[in-house]
Amino acid sequence: MNYLQELEAEAIYVFREIAAQFKKPVLLFSGGKDSTLLIHLAAKAFYPMSIPFPVMHVDTGHNFEEALRFRDQLVQQKGLKLIVRKVEDSIIKYGIEEPVEKLPSRNVLQSITLMDAIREFGFDACIGSGRRDEEKARAKERFFSVRDKEGKWQPYNQKPELWNIYNGYIDEGENMRVFPISNWTEMDVWQYIRQENIALPSLYFSHERSCIVHNGRLIAVSEYIKIDDEDIRLTENVRYRTVGDMTCTAAIKSDARTIDEVIREIETSNISERGETRIDDQLSDAAMEDRKLQGYF
Amino acid sequence: MELLRFTTAGSIDDGKSTLTGRLLYDTGNIKDDVLESVSKVGNTINLAHITDGLRSERAGGITIDIGYRYFKTNNRKYIISDAPGHFQYTKNMVTGASNVDVMIILVDARNGITSQTRLHSLVASFLRTRYVVVAINKMDALAYAEDVFESTRIEYRSIAEKLQLRDVIFIPISALHGDNVSAHSENMPWYNGPDLLSFLEQCDTQKTANGPGRLSIQYTAEDESTGRTLYFGKVLSVEIHKGERLTVFPSGNEVLIEKYISGYEELETAKAGENICLELNTNDGVKRGSILAPLTHSPQCTKHLTADICWLDPEIDCDQNKEFILRINTQESICRFRDIEYRINPFSFDKERVAGLKVNEVASVIIETEIPIAYDNYDVCPENARGIIIDPATHNTVAAIMIH
Ligand SMILES: Nc1nc2c(ncn2[C@@H]2O[C@H](COP(=O)(O)OP(=O)(O)O)[C@@H](O)[C@H]2O)c(=O)[nH]1
Repeated sequence: MNYLQELEAEAIYVFREIAAQFKKPVLLFSGGKDSTLLIHLAAKAFYPMSIPFPVMHVDTGHNFEEALRFRDQLVQQKGLKLIVRKVEDSIIKYGIEEPVEKLPSRNVLQSITLMDAIREFGFDACIGSGRRDEEKARAKERFFSVRDKEGKWQPYNQKPELWNIYNGYIDEGENMRVFPISNWTEMDVWQYIRQENIALPSLYFSHERSCIVHNGRLIAVSEYIKIDDEDIRLTENVRYRTVGDMTCTAAIKSDARTIDEVIREIETSNISERGETRIDDQLSDAAMEDRKLQGYF
Repeated sequence: MELLRFTTAGSIDDGKSTLTGRLLYDTGNIKDDVLESVSKVGNTINLAHITDGLRSERAGGITIDIGYRYFKTNNRKYIISDAPGHFQYTKNMVTGASNVDVMIILVDARNGITSQTRLHSLVASFLRTRYVVVAINKMDALAYAEDVFESTRIEYRSIAEKLQLRDVIFIPISALHGDNVSAHSENMPWYNGPDLLSFLEQCDTQKTANGPGRLSIQYTAEDESTGRTLYFGKVLSVEIHKGERLTVFPSGNEVLIEKYISGYEELETAKAGENICLELNTNDGVKRGSILAPLTHSPQCTKHLTADICWLDPEIDCDQNKEFILRINTQESICRFRDIEYRINPFSFDKERVAGLKVNEVASVIIETEIPIAYDNYDVCPENARGIIIDPATHNTVAAIMIH
């Protein structure tokens, strides 16, 4: 087997383990490239049957329109059941005061909405598109990663996980996070997208966009960020390397319009994926670790 | 392009993180922003810091759990599991080593072989790791002297023999300065073997699959559009053909594969490693955990198994009155330990009788299961010869087993 076949086989095996070991799994889907890849892998894992669990979007309300449109199209095309739970509703329900910031992030609040949804539907497994290669806290995750009753990760007390034998036993109220593409790198994802001809939101390819420059990064102009008079506005040819919230994902200058051009661009880039595009991880050295400890994906 | 998985083992401070950092750096696999975030001593980057993960690991300067790194060359893709060195965290090291083709065991040339070197070698022997590379590190600190390398090599040879390790390779390196890591070092002209990266680039990654065909059932569901039962599973070894008559274990029924799907395609034959979906001529006795085998080549199918075991839980004991859950690939049964035949002494590797097992110990046990388990010997079908033990009370994975 070549490496892509091996990674695909590993992911498909994990998907089938999820279906066999859990009563109510859900696949977390945002319209980004990694969760789109998950849906394609799941479709292949269960063919000729349809995917035997729903997908859920924990919606921060700060979305790129293109990602939402793409989300709805893919859901319809694959005949999936989509659940949407909104961070907005958690904010109202718990009377949360949102900090007034230039780039207000609802990233941390997503964990609250996610945990509420897990309890509402009784999900025992959430399938996520985290990759170990993305970030140093993620590099420590198991494929099957237990969250306690409050949704917390216990990185210093993880279960042994040998070979491809996954232990899915959990206590009532606990929840498993499962990461079928743990071992994929950004480049592997793109190579597979090319090989399987997987459609992505237009955001991932070069387009013209009005941006402001913030700490040397290009942030899309939107109603969700605070724009001051001092801000320099530019219209640039950009694309996104990762797609999260409009408020915490930076665009990169790019003329890459096709999958081949994107792959060439990533190959020659000397900056890592999250380093280039994620503002939320720049806050501190352990920003991701902290979010994960609190129940984040 | 092929994938090679390897792990770096060794005691704390033997240079595991430095070596991983060095390999990533030498192969151009560290991006500028990551390099910038790493601390520097004067003008030299702290290579060890590149692989640090969690906050307390960075603060304490130790690795607690496995961290995974990825890099590629023009030739291969690599997955490194960066293992903790502390005795206490050996159980995490076992997780990281379970899937690898190569275990690199680092030895600090100044200290020679330590108890952790022995323990990690015992793990390699338990897991039947394909290659063990003994990387004798910090050669720079001993003026690159050949005699240190030679004496360590001679000492390790006897360990390898006693543990029946498969292929063992010795390489003298300096992870810090890069000697024999990704190019042959001019500081050690007396060494004629490959540098570490050349070895990794060339070693054979082929998983052996010469035993009889085995197919394991993972998940079953009804296809609503046709009303037929679909069997999702994996070919564990060699190949299985459409239309072939197979025996189902443990039920003993005979079935015929009527339809074979892999990915989006219908197949005539499926090969080892492939995830497949089947339609069978009968639904009798086939479910998750079933093993399908050719009529002429049955697996063992009993309620008594003798297995090597590696105990992984610091709190639970290998109690002979307690019920556990055994899982081998997707088969599962309640089980009990009937006897501990012997423990392998982690220093002398002698077999000795003991009353119980503690964390990080390797032994041979007799297990009795509630329902028959269909298994093979490791040499026949590795995937059908290895398993885990789960404690039904805590749901923890308390041990790993290998059937010999
Ligand atoms: N002189 C010398 N020091 C080394 C070498 N490799 C690592 N070290 C040092 O040994 C110490 C421990 O290294 P580290 O990689 O953190 O070890 P780990 O605990 O096995 O990950 C650090 O101070 C390194 O700089 C080497 O080849 N030569």
